[in-house]
Amino acid sequence: MTSTIRQMTTRGTPYLFLLPGLVILGALLSVPLYKVVEYSLYDNVIVERNPTFVGLDNYTTLLTDPGYWSAGFNTIVFTVGSVLGHMIVGIGLALLVNADIAPRARTFFRSMLVLPWIFTAVVVALNWQLLLNPFGLINYMLQWLGLTSEPLDWLGDPDLAMWSLLLISTWRGYPFIMVSFLSGLQTVPRELYEAAEIDGAGFWHKFWHVTLPQLKPVIFGVALLDLIWTFQLFPLVWLSTGGGPGRATEVLSTLTFRLAFVDFQFAQAATVAVSILIISAAFTLLYLRNESRRL
Amino acid sequence: MSRIEIRNLVKMYGAHQALHGIDISIQPGEFCVLVGPSGCGKSTTLRMVAGLETISGGEIAIGDRVVNGLRPKERGIAMVFQNYALYPSKTVYNNMAFSLQLSRMPKPEIERRVSEVADILELTPLLERKPGALSGGQRQRVAMGRAIVRDPEVFLFDEPLSNLDAKLRGQMRAEIKRLHQRLQNTIIYVTHDQVEAMTLADRIVIMRDGRIEQQGTPDAIFHDPDTVFVAGFMGSPPMNLVECMVTPTGLRLGDSEIACQTPPGLRSGARVICGIRPDDIRPAEDLPGGATATLPVDLIEQLGTEKLVHFRAGDHAMIGKTGGRANLAEGRPHPLSFDMAHAYFFDPETEKRIR
Repeated sequence: MTSTIRQMTTRGTPYLFLLPGLVILGALLSVPLYKVVEYSLYDNVIVERNPTFVGLDNYTTLLTDPGYWSAGFNTIVFTVGSVLGHMIVGIGLALLVNADIAPRARTFFRSMLVLPWIFTAVVVALNWQLLLNPFGLINYMLQWLGLTSEPLDWLGDPDLAMWSLLLISTWRGYPFIMVSFLSGLQTVPRELYEAAEIDGAGFWHKFWHVTLPQLKPVIFGVALLDLIWTFQLFPLVWLSTGGGPGRATEVLSTLTFRLAFVDFQFAQAATVAVSILIISAAFTLLYLRNESRRL
Repeated sequence: MSRIEIRNLVKMYGAHQALHGIDISIQPGEFCVLVGPSGCGKSTTLRMVAGLETISGGEIAIGDRVVNGLRPKERGIAMVFQNYALYPSKTVYNNMAFSLQLSRMPKPEIERRVSEVADILELTPLLERKPGALSGGQRQRVAMGRAIVRDPEVFLFDEPLSNLDAKLRGQMRAEIKRLHQRLQNTIIYVTHDQVEAMTLADRIVIMRDGRIEQQGTPDAIFHDPDTVFVAGFMGSPPMNLVECMVTPTGLRLGDSEIACQTPPGLRSGARVICGIRPDDIRPAEDLPGGATATLPVDLIEQLGTEKLVHFRAGDHAMIGKTGGRANLAEGRPHPLSFDMAHAYFFDPETEKRIR
């Protein structure tokens, strides 16, 4: 009898240690997740005491709403544009700061170029609002250089707002990509470049035939991760343009926020959130499969 | 086939001087091996010929052209790296064809050349594989194939066999030698392995601390060393190098007297470093007519065809040889015969040969 109890306690001990983690995960992750899915199946949640179950009605409403589709389209433009921007700027700068220059200068540039990453979204958004303001520095420079005759409202003009947002997002997001690629670049054996040089390869050939193939696993993994993050990015968009002007830069995450906390349509907001969840989960599965294949 | 002239070559890393004026003149079709301990500057010299390191001083000419200012691809060289440096994402075929593709050679010509070289190196069945799916020896052959397809004026080898196991190394060594006989290219080959140097070279250049210690044919290097360093570097087991005193009749080695002819300039009582190869010290019964001394044998190493006889002469541990079937007891004195006709004498101060 006592031995069984002892056996149970020894066997149970590891689970006891797991318990706090499991409780926190359950409370902070599973419950909200479940709640959001539940809300999307009811009408008038939170606002009314007794919401009515409507089944998939919210989803039908959403799928016939042109606002949802335009937000979806904007999300794709914003996500793909941002990821491409991050990749191109990230690889370019990684190559530059990986160059064989004085160690002090290299450390200086590496630290400086990581800075955009450590500011909070609020600071980034406010700074860029000031820079892109019709009376801001960028317009002043453009006019001084004679590139524009009158100030442009970068964030206020529906034709320019998405481009400006992509600029801000690229600036904000490239450091992670740069750092990832930099560590990838440092694993490329130097002999490969030397062999390529003797074979007669110039800069582009070396980049194309040595650097890119060596970075391929990193590129794929980082791009997917970036895709997942950018797809649901909220603060930077909300604080820079608020989804405007009009709905010009409305993405799914800002739409969710607007539905919930501006229009108090919590059920609709939950429905959009679930749609984001499904797409993000798909990307995540793709990422995990890619990672496990790499190992 | 081109001659290579290296004149007063200097390499500085900041304030540190890695090469102190290297002069080597390599004839067309000659197989030149740079050998020396690590850090002696042999790889640096090779990489400067390749154009992978800048030249701090002096001149390198390949054929009739001074190549100091030329980029690697303009020098007419091909190089085989220690770690092979094959492009991991390319097939064997594309690894070999890459330089030809870059030079915009017509496709049929590339195919012809690659398949010809693949044939020589027995790589034809592997052409569609990637380097990751090859064994060490196969990778080594691809690396050589990549160099050969370019039909360069000069081949540069940077310790190409050091990543292979002993057996494969022996095979590849013979393969490189055969290749050289067939292609007749000028070759500079860097190694720290003296067996590779001896077997492959037409000319050996022994380097030490950024200077050339001695250069010449393998025979000259082995049988006519200029310095203590060269004498001790070539040969395995190494030459016995012991400091002893000149006596009126020969040398005093520890407590024993070895009768021999010493070089005329040496007076009795002078200190001298005597060098004698293990092959030239045998048990007295094997080598009648040598200078004999009875010395304590403390260890016998069986190598198969021969045995190494470790013995002591005063404070000096020395090695002699005997046949693999000889019966010699460890731990007791044995009369040993020294073939002093093949002994070398060096100045203990300058470490230079006294002739």
